[in-house]
Amino acid sequence: MAAPAAKTAATGPLTFEKDIRPILKANCFHCHGEEGKTKGGLDVRLRHLIAKGGEQGAAIVPGKAEKSLLFTMVRDGEMPKGQGKKLPPEKIELLRQWIAGGAKVARAEPAKPGAADEFTPEERAHWAFQPVKRPEVPSIQSSVFSNQSGKERSGSQLNTENWPLKTGSKPHPIDAFIGQKLAAAKLSFSPPADRATLIRRANFDLLGLPPSPAEVEAFEKDTSPDAYEKLLDRLLASPHYGERWGRHWLDIAGYADSDGYTDTDTERKWAWKYRDYVIRSLNADKPFREFIVEQIAGDELVKPPHKNLPPADVDKLTATGFLRMAPDGTANAGVEQKVARNAVVADTIKVVSSSLLGVTVGCAQCHNHKHDPIPQADYYRMRAVFEPGFDLRTWRTPNARLVSLMSDEARAKAAEVEKEAKIIEDARLKKQNEFIDEVLEKELLKRPEELRTPLREAYKTVVAKRTPAQVKLLKEHPTVMQLSPGSLYLYEQKKADELKKQTDEAAKIREKKPAEEFIPVFNETAAKDGPAPTFLFHRGDPDQPKQQLKPGDLTILAALRPVDLPEKDAALPTSGRRLAYARALTDGQHPLTSRVLVNRIWMHHFGRGIVASPSDFGTLGERPTHPELLDWLASEFVAQGWSLKKLHKVIMTSAAYRQASQLSNAEFRISNSKDPDNKLLWRHPIRRLDAEQLRDAQLFVSGRLNPKPGGAPVPIMTDETGQVVVGVNTDDTAGRPSGKFVGLNGEEFRRSLYVQMRRSKPLGLMETFDAPRMEPNCELRNASTVAPQSLALMNGEFALAQAKFFAERVAKEAGDSTDESKVSRAWQLAFSRRPNSTEMSDALGFLSKQRAHFTANAPKEAKVAKGKEPPPTNAEEHALTGLCQALLTANRFLYVE
Amino acid sequence: MTSTTCNSRRHFLAQSGFGLGSVALAWLLKQDNLLASPPKPDLDPKSFDLLPRRPHFEPRAKAMISMFMQGGPSHMDLFDPKPALDKLDGQKFPGEIKFDNAAQASPKVLASPWKFQKHGQCGMDVSELLPHFAGIVDDVCLLRGMHTGVNNHGQSIYALQNGRVLGGRPTLGSWLTYALGAETSNLPAFMALTDPRGLPVLGVANWENGWLPSLFQGTAVRSKEPRIPNLDPPTHLRGPAQENYLSFLDKLNRDHLRDHPGETDLQARIASYELAAKMQTAAKEAMDITGESAATKALYGIDVPATAEFGTRCLIARRLVERGVRFVQLYTGNQTWDHHGSIRTGLPAACKYIDKGSAGLVTDLKARGLLDSTVVHWGGEMGRLPVIQNDVGPARVGRDHNTYGFSMWVAGGGFKNGITYGETDEFGHHAVKDIVNHYDYHATLLHLFGLDYKKLVFKRNATEMSLVDGQNARLVNEILRG
Repeated sequence: MAAPAAKTAATGPLTFEKDIRPILKANCFHCHGEEGKTKGGLDVRLRHLIAKGGEQGAAIVPGKAEKSLLFTMVRDGEMPKGQGKKLPPEKIELLRQWIAGGAKVARAEPAKPGAADEFTPEERAHWAFQPVKRPEVPSIQSSVFSNQSGKERSGSQLNTENWPLKTGSKPHPIDAFIGQKLAAAKLSFSPPADRATLIRRANFDLLGLPPSPAEVEAFEKDTSPDAYEKLLDRLLASPHYGERWGRHWLDIAGYADSDGYTDTDTERKWAWKYRDYVIRSLNADKPFREFIVEQIAGDELVKPPHKNLPPADVDKLTATGFLRMAPDGTANAGVEQKVARNAVVADTIKVVSSSLLGVTVGCAQCHNHKHDPIPQADYYRMRAVFEPGFDLRTWRTPNARLVSLMSDEARAKAAEVEKEAKIIEDARLKKQNEFIDEVLEKELLKRPEELRTPLREAYKTVVAKRTPAQVKLLKEHPTVMQLSPGSLYLYEQKKADELKKQTDEAAKIREKKPAEEFIPVFNETAAKDGPAPTFLFHRGDPDQPKQQLKPGDLTILAALRPVDLPEKDAALPTSGRRLAYARALTDGQHPLTSRVLVNRIWMHHFGRGIVASPSDFGTLGERPTHPELLDWLASEFVAQGWSLKKLHKVIMTSAAYRQASQLSNAEFRISNSKDPDNKLLWRHPIRRLDAEQLRDAQLFVSGRLNPKPGGAPVPIMTDETGQVVVGVNTDDTAGRPSGKFVGLNGEEFRRSLYVQMRRSKPLGLMETFDAPRMEPNCELRNASTVAPQSLALMNGEFALAQAKFFAERVAKEAGDSTDESKVSRAWQLAFSRRPNSTEMSDALGFLSKQRAHFTANAPKEAKVAKGKEPPPTNAEEHALTGLCQALLTANRFLYVE
Repeated sequence: MTSTTCNSRRHFLAQSGFGLGSVALAWLLKQDNLLASPPKPDLDPKSFDLLPRRPHFEPRAKAMISMFMQGGPSHMDLFDPKPALDKLDGQKFPGEIKFDNAAQASPKVLASPWKFQKHGQCGMDVSELLPHFAGIVDDVCLLRGMHTGVNNHGQSIYALQNGRVLGGRPTLGSWLTYALGAETSNLPAFMALTDPRGLPVLGVANWENGWLPSLFQGTAVRSKEPRIPNLDPPTHLRGPAQENYLSFLDKLNRDHLRDHPGETDLQARIASYELAAKMQTAAKEAMDITGESAATKALYGIDVPATAEFGTRCLIARRLVERGVRFVQLYTGNQTWDHHGSIRTGLPAACKYIDKGSAGLVTDLKARGLLDSTVVHWGGEMGRLPVIQNDVGPARVGRDHNTYGFSMWVAGGGFKNGITYGETDEFGHHAVKDIVNHYDYHATLLHLFGLDYKKLVFKRNATEMSLVDGQNARLVNEILRG
């Protein structure tokens, strides 16, 4: 395929500022201009400097590309230096065209290149750095709603008084923006999705779970005009809502139950406290602004000392767990501390910037950003916001950052209990000594009389003080020498048992102690010489600190409005930097925060953001498909008090959301030929369930889902094939399987987000379905389609067990024992609808075929390892389990319309 | 990206999961993909596949079978005779020793209890413990100057398996399959054949994909059924039961697809079930050796109980490579070769277990014309010290770790044959001449596969990561055929 032609026609003549400088900035500035370097005497930062040239003379001859070194050396791969650095053909072509066209500039150039933070007008004009302006809602023609000639579709219809537009009423603003673009492309919305489809879609979207058949039926029968809104309200009020949307946030926060960084991947025992805080906050619809401020600076809102705190304050401290999510190997032996600590800071900045800023600030860690107006100093200004909490001078390892939640009262109670236990302990110790003496005397009696006294003395002498003669003597009498509390049982079992009883008694008393819980907290410790300083690291190397920098917003954003970040807020015990920064992020004027957030929400509803690169709104990111809609949503979100739940409702009541995803072949082909990626949203996209949705939905349908919320994670273990599964690891200390099995009592059926997330050990089933590895976080998930997924569904232990449970449930709930009733019930549970006649007859055919097979080939009873689900026991159950497995692995189950 | 933005190209590739049909077309599409897409940050989740890919230059090797002898086979007792030790047997070692286990350290020299003899036309020295290896020395390149320099199992295993002394990185097989895909659409591209006696030290980390996509993870093959996780249905579903299920499922999916014309994701999913079913048969067939002749089985020692288990895995490895699997690694049990004590009985037993099968593998590959395109590797993560460990009588003495100089052998795939390369000092403690570090070995291996070790990179967190990863590697041209 030919290299794509450089685009020129639409955008006017090529200019240095608009077309050429970005190429040179990304590829050439580093050696030819920046940091005082001008290799070969050439500085390419301004057009007139290029024309002036270097040691080899002028680098361009306007009008004559072939005679311009800038073009020929790049074309011939001589520049940029280094293998694999050759510019792509379309960029070389741009250079050629620009020179051929006279090497024009957009405006008069200054004599000298500006500093790194003197941006060009082109850089300043980038869309994402403009203030959010609430756009006028366009008016649209109702014809954009009428793709379908009112054709009847299967299933009941949504009440359609809003579909197409009611005369005289205004369209939903979202539909106005979407409709405008559809109309321009001669496309239109699809008809409304039927009710069963819509409730299934809304359920998976908001809760990550399918609806129950009863819920589907109730919704289908509800004829009230606000049936759909009531549905949304019910779903938004469900405690499962926070679990689903919490999961989205945990992706971008990089939540994991381990420290990562090293192969030890130490367990992060209390990370779940932050996970539960996120779920709690979303369920409470805490204004997102508050949610952000707490996560960035919750500690600065709570008066020290951090003990005996009311729940609201505990929440604020727990929120800062957000800044404790990055991998942190600084407690592990053998790591290069300086590098490891710096990595924690860098990863935390990455988490903050990719979740809230949507620009790749991290690219400026080592040099000025090559594509966006982010000078290297900006990176370190941002770092300075967080530096006092990290404080490389007095580094705290993950455990040193835990804050105890134990109140003084509880601590006093614990001391009380300990006192009680100590009494028993002391008594036991006394008895132990008596026993040892008794046994010793018995042993001595077995020796000749003259040896007894020296042996006794030798035994009672502490090891270090024994004379060589004593040592020798004892060695000759090993049964004396080896007598100890630990070996007492070998001499007199009864005595040992008696001691054990007392030990147990003490342990029992200790059980009364209030349990001590912790939260991982990001906070500042008071430093005498003020907040930790931040230096710009030359090339990002912590061993090459350069100038000191003060905290600051990105220069390009600070230009929009004054942002004052204190070095030390006198009114606070802390530096106040993060609190001020968090408030700047959420001041409603910040051009990125609200756009980035609403874009993420949109992405989770539609599978694709209005900006398809959710963490890069910079020049290399995608352009918004609907920039005005993005701004309208951002301003609406802020106007509605940063309420996520209100935003969901706004989005989900639009026709864009409620439209169908399936169309007739002909209609599909026409629309698809115009917009194959469905960027304009002429239908609702079809999406594969993500890893958690899939596992949770199988559990839900099988009837086994344990809805218990929160708490310590469900353990994982590695099975004998190396697959990570839910279970209690019973390997011995050398890592060999002990063969023991410890049951989980239903914990194994909890929602996937409660399963322990070790960075190095993702749950096998989940990883197969693209659950992310947190390194440090996940901006956007993949949805792959590979054979190992099919194998996991066909033969995997989890899938087979759920199919069996599902079959048991169907048999119980079918009403009568006919195959028809079972098939019908199974369909409703799995697909939220009844089977049509073809499906019914196919299913009946399958059941009888399988039944016949298993009747003729009754499987031998197989030995089943402890903790594994045994197969069904008769032909009837086998057949129904097979049917249920097919439903749980069918595309209709795996994809949501 | 999700289904909404997938273009047709991505779907084709996704559909190919383990590689599918029209390879040439896919190749063209990939090329086209490379040309058409401007450099972008890693925002758009890439889609990965196991389609065969062309290396950087003409390769000599297409596949590799590695026999990983975890624990550290004693080089001075097997491959690297040291007459100097015979003279000093039982006396104080004349130099400095780097011990690992101080508590049991002894300065006494331990001469090899076994005799060496020259074998083959090349006259390679081989210990009497490896009589079958002695028969293939003319096809083998013996490396006597191996060096990793990290004196414990974990780190040195990492060094040899993933290129650095740290965990969490992709192993050699992951890199090869990431770079080259596989020549089969029906089998996993990278297979790890484990020993019934247990997993090697570091267990599954020996075949982990690290931060490469999990598609490139080694598929563990157990020594007993079920050999591959999720590959086989449980017994009661085998045969018609699962066929019925799959055909019913296919029907459901096709009905569903009819309602959703043009949904390439749904089509890809249907194809992936077909592929999965194909894999089941293909893998079963590949691992079923009943059709092999009695002579072949005897060649691998499968006719004798003591050598049957390892021989069977060697034969399966050949069958996998014949069928297009890119990388197969076989393991011995946990610390099989870690002879800190009782080396006089332990080492002969360990050798007996593997000698027939490993030699038979080379002989068989050669006879079938596969040796030229298949690299065979035999070696562990370290060798042993010239002095005694655990000085409590001749029967119980052993040797401590030594990663400063040890031996391993390679054959086929473009390596010179019948040569011995590299030297340790007169006592076998340190490699002193023609040293091959783990990264030199890796760079050289990649070269045989047509890959430039500097160019084979994976972008992670905006950093280009590689197998050699910035270590100062040397292509060991002296051991490559001209």
